[in-house]
Amino acid sequence: MATVTEPARRENPAESFLYRLRNSVFTLGFVLLAAFFVAWFVFPLYILFKVSVSQPQDVLTQRPPLLIQNFTWDHWERMFNLDRILPPLQMSLTVATGTAIMCILIAAPAAYAISRLPRGLRYGIVLALLFTRMFPEVTIATPIAARFYGWGLSDSEIGLILAHMIRNLPFVAWILVGTFQVIPVDLEEASQVDGAGRISTLVRIVFPLALPGIVVAAMFAWLDSWNDLLWAIYLLPSEFTLPRLTYYYAARGGFFDVATFSVILTIPVFFITLFLQRYIRTGYLSGAVKG
Amino acid sequence: MDRRDDQTGGVGSATQPQGDVAVAAGTPGVTGKLQYERPSASRRFIRRNALSIIMILPLVLYIFGFTLLPVFDSIRLSLVDRFTGEFPTTSNYREVMDSTNFNRAIRNTLGITAIGVTLELIFGLVIALMLARAFRARGFFRSMVLIPLGVPTLVAGAAMIYILGLQGYLNEILLRLNIIDQQILWTVEGWRGMFSIAIADTWKTTPLVILILLAGLEAIPGDIYEAADVDGASKWRQFWDHTLPLLMPAITMAVILRAIDAFRIFDIAIVLAGSQVPVMSSFVYFEYFAGNLNGASAASTILLLMIVIFIVLYFLIVERRRGDV
Repeated sequence: MATVTEPARRENPAESFLYRLRNSVFTLGFVLLAAFFVAWFVFPLYILFKVSVSQPQDVLTQRPPLLIQNFTWDHWERMFNLDRILPPLQMSLTVATGTAIMCILIAAPAAYAISRLPRGLRYGIVLALLFTRMFPEVTIATPIAARFYGWGLSDSEIGLILAHMIRNLPFVAWILVGTFQVIPVDLEEASQVDGAGRISTLVRIVFPLALPGIVVAAMFAWLDSWNDLLWAIYLLPSEFTLPRLTYYYAARGGFFDVATFSVILTIPVFFITLFLQRYIRTGYLSGAVKG
Repeated sequence: MDRRDDQTGGVGSATQPQGDVAVAAGTPGVTGKLQYERPSASRRFIRRNALSIIMILPLVLYIFGFTLLPVFDSIRLSLVDRFTGEFPTTSNYREVMDSTNFNRAIRNTLGITAIGVTLELIFGLVIALMLARAFRARGFFRSMVLIPLGVPTLVAGAAMIYILGLQGYLNEILLRLNIIDQQILWTVEGWRGMFSIAIADTWKTTPLVILILLAGLEAIPGDIYEAADVDGASKWRQFWDHTLPLLMPAITMAVILRAIDAFRIFDIAIVLAGSQVPVMSSFVYFEYFAGNLNGASAASTILLLMIVIFIVLYFLIVERRRGDV
């Protein structure tokens, strides 16, 4: 079709000129717009990094320069020297990993069972899972924080893991229902015909096949826990995770600490997300973010 | 299949405890048959699905105990008088409604949601349309606009501290471009505060809108455009006549999902503006830490109601159309 219309255009020189002009104006606009958006998305991260390697006179000034002048690792060195980073880093890592493991342990079997339910029931359960994720977290956090305080779970890793599971269990289960659903039931039946029990079929056949999905779901849970601020400030009156510490400095105007911690927080998230990008499908999105 | 299921439920078709006794007595087959009684329908259902039930139960119990119960607990607390312990009472709701901060929080939350969702939709739509075309460096462009996915929400708020502060980079750029001649304090109560938080939220969440809309665009069959080309319709007409109407479901989904999240906005607001610009969630948090458990519950119940309305909308409009998981 294109071969018919395009030579026709070239026959008329005036139209061809207009056509090309319109095309190049469009291209220019397109490039400018793309450049604007790239700048818009990169700029805040650039600024964070810049502040974390700038000397005070380049930040605490009336007119801050846009480029990095007087480069320094001072804030980074201070961060690692003072032992300030290790306890919260350890806490963050423990809680994130604990959350990911616990979520898989509880959600994976459930997701498998849900994926083998009749279609209507399965759909209803998945919707209910989605629904629980949309509740405002402060509504849940108020009574939970009060109760955890009573149970002595404030300032503890276990308390925070239990809290982070609230948000992630439905999400992980939701991803995994999709994963198990595409594993053919025939495979299980074949294995059972060969004499394997139902549980050994699950352990030997189904879960290994679902492993990629399980890993992706675990990474989502890990990230969400690593990023969490809300539960950390509700449940940690005197301990710190990295986000909690970043907030602590932000509330006190610690410019360089906030920037440095922000960069540290972002690094693992950035690379894991890069890896996860191809698994982020529309279906996951509604639950993947919080406000 | 069914016979396999029974392995977990007991031996053969005998009722479980008797079956176990029979096994212990060493004459499973005979005793089992003799004691055969047809179990009731519900028991048969439980037996056949025992393994499934055992697998689902922890998840259900967890969600019940750590999500549903706390929500009801919150609603109950909101109806208990803070000082007298009277139940039920609306005193907390009256107190919260009368507080200036709560009214500011509602106004800010609605304002942020309106500004934020509008900006996200415009940016998301423009970028999704750009990405739907083939051009050089498309892959690079795609990675660049998806960057915020890899940045914690809290960090998005923190970055904006440096940009929107009095001596921040937004003011600096505006000064250099001679658009303003005096630095503006952005993170204060009023439309500037709403705008600041909405901008930070827009930065962080536009990628999600892009992905939702892009999926919507990819679902539009290409022959519609071929037909329109043959008819000689301009690209602009094609956009209004075909793309936009067909994209409407994706747009609706994006708007409702984003609105639900914007109502709950917490990290960005608290990091960027603290108590300067209260939003619903941060109001609840500050009340809780001031020791007013009942006031916090009342405020969070109001927030819950607002969100439930949107959840119902979501299920009515979006999920009903989708049909399957």
